[in-house]
Amino acid sequence: MSLVSDPKGYWADLTRPEQGVLAFVLGFALLLLLGLLTGGIGPSYFLFLVGLAGMYSLLSFGLNVQWGYSGLINFSVAAFFGIGAYGTALASASSSPLAGGIPPVVGLFVALVLAGVLALLIGIPTLRLRADYLAIASIGLAEVVRIIILNEGWLTNGSAGVRGIPGFFEGWPVLETFPETMPGVIITALPGPTIVLGTNFWQALLNVALVLTLVGICYLVLRRVHRSPWGRVLRTIRSDEDAARALGKNTYSYKMQAFVLGSLIMALAGVFYAHLNLYVGPGDLNPITTFYVWVAVILGGSGSNRGALFGGFVIVAIQQGTRFLNEFGWIPVDVAPLRLLLIGVIIVLLMRFRPQGVLPPQRELIWRGVVDDAPSQPERGVRGSKAGESDD
Amino acid sequence: MTEPQPDSESESAGDPTSAATAGAATQTASPASPRSGADRSKEDVVLEAHDLVKAFGALVATDHASFQVERGTITGLIGPNGAGKSTLFNLVSGFYEPDSGHVEVNGTDVTDLEPYEIADHGLIRTFQTPRKLEGMTVREAMLVGPQRQPGESFVKLFTAPDEVREHEARNLADVERILGEFEIDHLATQPATKISGGQMKLVELARAMLAEPDILLLDEPAAGVNPTLRKKLAEQIRRLHDQGTTFLLIEHDMEFVMSLADPVIVLDRGSVLMEGTPDEVQTDDRVIDAYLGG
Repeated sequence: MSLVSDPKGYWADLTRPEQGVLAFVLGFALLLLLGLLTGGIGPSYFLFLVGLAGMYSLLSFGLNVQWGYSGLINFSVAAFFGIGAYGTALASASSSPLAGGIPPVVGLFVALVLAGVLALLIGIPTLRLRADYLAIASIGLAEVVRIIILNEGWLTNGSAGVRGIPGFFEGWPVLETFPETMPGVIITALPGPTIVLGTNFWQALLNVALVLTLVGICYLVLRRVHRSPWGRVLRTIRSDEDAARALGKNTYSYKMQAFVLGSLIMALAGVFYAHLNLYVGPGDLNPITTFYVWVAVILGGSGSNRGALFGGFVIVAIQQGTRFLNEFGWIPVDVAPLRLLLIGVIIVLLMRFRPQGVLPPQRELIWRGVVDDAPSQPERGVRGSKAGESDD
Repeated sequence: MTEPQPDSESESAGDPTSAATAGAATQTASPASPRSGADRSKEDVVLEAHDLVKAFGALVATDHASFQVERGTITGLIGPNGAGKSTLFNLVSGFYEPDSGHVEVNGTDVTDLEPYEIADHGLIRTFQTPRKLEGMTVREAMLVGPQRQPGESFVKLFTAPDEVREHEARNLADVERILGEFEIDHLATQPATKISGGQMKLVELARAMLAEPDILLLDEPAAGVNPTLRKKLAEQIRRLHDQGTTFLLIEHDMEFVMSLADPVIVLDRGSVLMEGTPDEVQTDDRVIDAYLGG
């Protein structure tokens, strides 16, 4: 089953959607590599995009816990993202009207605590009610948070935003000075322009390493909880909350746990963003972010961690990829502004032809190692896929 | 307070082991005051509803309803449309809060508790129209049944994964066993959305059994189920009853309920009209009147 020792067997064990996504990802990666080698994409810019994609994946993970697992409709993704970003920014930035100069690691905890408290505050009154109440309350919440940040200058610098945010690794032993100490590398191996890897590159690489670590940790945690009895209760709540209550599950508590967990992951994305961009402003809380994240989750397949990861990357590919399309002379119109239209078209096509998303959960979600002993009936798995054994 | 209270004739049902006979004796002994309301002198009571009242605006759906369910019985709950059977179920299982009155499960007052807390006291219920559990196989859906799973605690998933695995393996074995007993083990890895409505009812019953209830409330288990599966469902209920599970079931299908339940409680306009054996109920004039809208 290992990719390295038996690639053929690995491929054969995948379901059709998995094969499709894998082929697409490999093809796209190859295209990017080509772009990098020919100088079409600058390496530092490319790494910035990977960081952005990681950030969107984190946001999608968060929303997936809320919507994908538990069916909670949260339209305040941008607010939790913003709370995360502002939390760490106000703690660590030099221009912070409050504290400033606190190490970013502490800022991370400040951000998580703020997001957790906000999630509890919005969850307490709404999670006992039907799903639509949370949806409405969350729309309101998102605007309230954004407008407070915009108007309360003494607290947040208002529309000027917070500048002078240090990199995440400031104050760390080796990593703080890593970009400066690394030598500049010049690559001229291939025909085409020479590629110079300087301080910016190493800085971006460090950020990518950070976001990949965060994404990796979140993914591993989420994979475990998704396959657990805990995740199963959430999925039951999503389909039929009354059935879960009748079977002795405290659904309010489960929904609260899912809501807080999701919000914390969103805040984590915000923390990363603040230290990536080194500036946060009220504009970062625009509802459009929420919309993009919803698209990522629905596109990837609600309830699927891998789907959320995939969705996050696709969103950034669409957002940023459309910039490059203008370089093709034969396209008669300016493509970049058509971004939203393109996303809309994708969503319409998806809903029409594949409403469950590109990569919905492919296998049974039973605790690892338990189901392998049970007789598996491969011909009858979920959605025509394989029973037992698996990820996600 | 439209019905005479059952306390008035409680002395007549002195021998709880033969409540039905005692009831019949009362009827023959004093035809002027026929037995009314529920028999509330049972000995080993699992579930007791006392004077429950629930009004929705001007509509009094449950009007001072009182009854008892004795351990080890299959108690039927029947009544014409709009008699308040489902409301009563919702009151008893904690889904509605009664305006007054109280409910006891195994002698504990559970009136103001949440459904999950009531389940913890041993009362589990099913629904008339089970919703499909999207994206789950039948056995996954079944795994939601068992109570007190360590894996349902978020923290334990990381601090005690071995304990979680152990319980999950045991629960999965229980699931496979129960599916076998219900003769639906071939459905185990089918998507829960792909099985028929009747099979879904069987799965729901099987899942409820995994919670090891002291009393199981079934809301119209036979509704929308084809005759073959209906027979199978009745067999299963009888089998579980023989193994010691107590049932309270709402049912519209008279043949189904009369062949299974004893005693049968008749509900009319929100309160208990009478209680008796299937034979007594079927021949009672008031019951016939209630059903014919008299």
